[in-house]
Amino acid sequence: MLLLRLWNYIRGYVIIVVKGYFPEKFINICMHRKIFLWDIKRLKNNEIICSLSIKSFRNLRAVAKKTKSRVSIRKKTGLPFVLNRYKHRKAFLIGAVVFIAALYIITSFVWSVEIDGNKNLNTDYLQHKLADMGIKPGTLKFGIDPDLVANRMILDVKGLAWVGITVKGTKVKVSISEGVTPPELVPKNIPCDIIASKDGVIKTVTAKSGQEMVKAGDTVVKGQVLVSGRMLNTEVKDEQPRFVHAIGTVIARTWYEERCPVNIHPVEKERTGQVENNYALLLFGKKIKLFPGKIKFENSDRVEINKSLSIGKDMVLPFGIIIEKYYENRLTVKELDLDIAKKAAADTAYKQIMKQVGDESKIVKAETRFIDDEKGKLTACVTAECNENIGITQEIGGN
Amino acid sequence: MPKNKNTKKNPKPKKNNEEKALKKNFREKMAEILELPKEVMLDVPKITMIGYRNIIVENYKALVEYENGRIKLNTSIGIIKIIGNALVIKAITSEDVLLEGEIDSLEFLK
Repeated sequence: MLLLRLWNYIRGYVIIVVKGYFPEKFINICMHRKIFLWDIKRLKNNEIICSLSIKSFRNLRAVAKKTKSRVSIRKKTGLPFVLNRYKHRKAFLIGAVVFIAALYIITSFVWSVEIDGNKNLNTDYLQHKLADMGIKPGTLKFGIDPDLVANRMILDVKGLAWVGITVKGTKVKVSISEGVTPPELVPKNIPCDIIASKDGVIKTVTAKSGQEMVKAGDTVVKGQVLVSGRMLNTEVKDEQPRFVHAIGTVIARTWYEERCPVNIHPVEKERTGQVENNYALLLFGKKIKLFPGKIKFENSDRVEINKSLSIGKDMVLPFGIIIEKYYENRLTVKELDLDIAKKAAADTAYKQIMKQVGDESKIVKAETRFIDDEKGKLTACVTAECNENIGITQEIGGN
Repeated sequence: MPKNKNTKKNPKPKKNNEEKALKKNFREKMAEILELPKEVMLDVPKITMIGYRNIIVENYKALVEYENGRIKLNTSIGIIKIIGNALVIKAITSEDVLLEGEIDSLEFLK
């Protein structure tokens, strides 16, 4: 019944009131002439109300005449009448068409590129790389081949293990998984040496295979062979040396040194609570400042809030607003106790060393000295002694 | 066999009737044997009621009377009188009528 009603609505129908002495006769003749009526209701004073299609309404006049009844239209319903009303409103129609077309055109471009999953790689760098391959705000999304770009990204950018690119609405989602490039290992069947990766004093040498070239207490420089894969035959002098794949651990004492100046008068920032906003419109990737005005704060932190208009989650439109918030800072020069300043400098230096020292090594001893230069400035100098494995494999005859 | 007696008494008009009845009987039997729908074979109305709110009369001939509380339909087997309340003709074609309203009774005026 719903379908029928919908069909009637599309075709259009009129609700009429028929006044006559024999409504039954009217209905019977209508049926005879294939004029179909529905929703017939009896009113008072020989009146009936009924609905019929526009098409059959034209044939109704003859029936009305024959039965001597009067027909009046109560209501016109349906799509044809609605459309007829809008026929004269051309501007409205054109506007509607233009709006739909504009929406379609706008949404067929890429307006947002989202990158997630990167830890060490810079997002800007990745965005730049993607732009080189044709994925940037403002490109047609039909021209993007996600698989091709993903493959090219893996080949072009080092350190990527997997790249997934999905185009959703006007948004391109780039999911990245970074892989750790494995250390270049020399295959087991190829003879190699173990050389020093950095300077140091040897603590222990344990060679499982190969000839030990250094002993505990030796000072080695970077690149020096520690365990040789070249096994010389000590008994028969003329025989060719045997080449093996050297395996072993060489623990050495290494030193790191970092300096950091001691600052007794550090400048501290403090937010005063004063905020000034600058608004800018974002149209098709271009920034238009709304009320360009100078920020009267001498020192401030800038926070950018980017709000872009979007339909749903993925249909990002190229319109947006940027709110730049400036938080005023009050700079205060602090007077620190010398001891505390010294400690802070030493801490920073120590932290810098920690960054350099690998996870596998451990710091055995750390020493802090303070050097006075000619101008009377103090510098903290931290020297740390580590025990670490400095042996790395290198192919014999290779570089 | 009372019918035979009647024919003898008044042969002319009743014979026609009897022929018609015979024909109808034959058709009914055929419909039964072939399992065909009877309303098609016999040209009788088919009345379907859904509760007391809806009634569909198929194969009617004409609308005789239409009031809010009373509708009379002419069919091949006589007039069907429907008494009820707020009766509305929801849909009507040359063959069937769909009525809606509170139906109280249905009567055959043979």
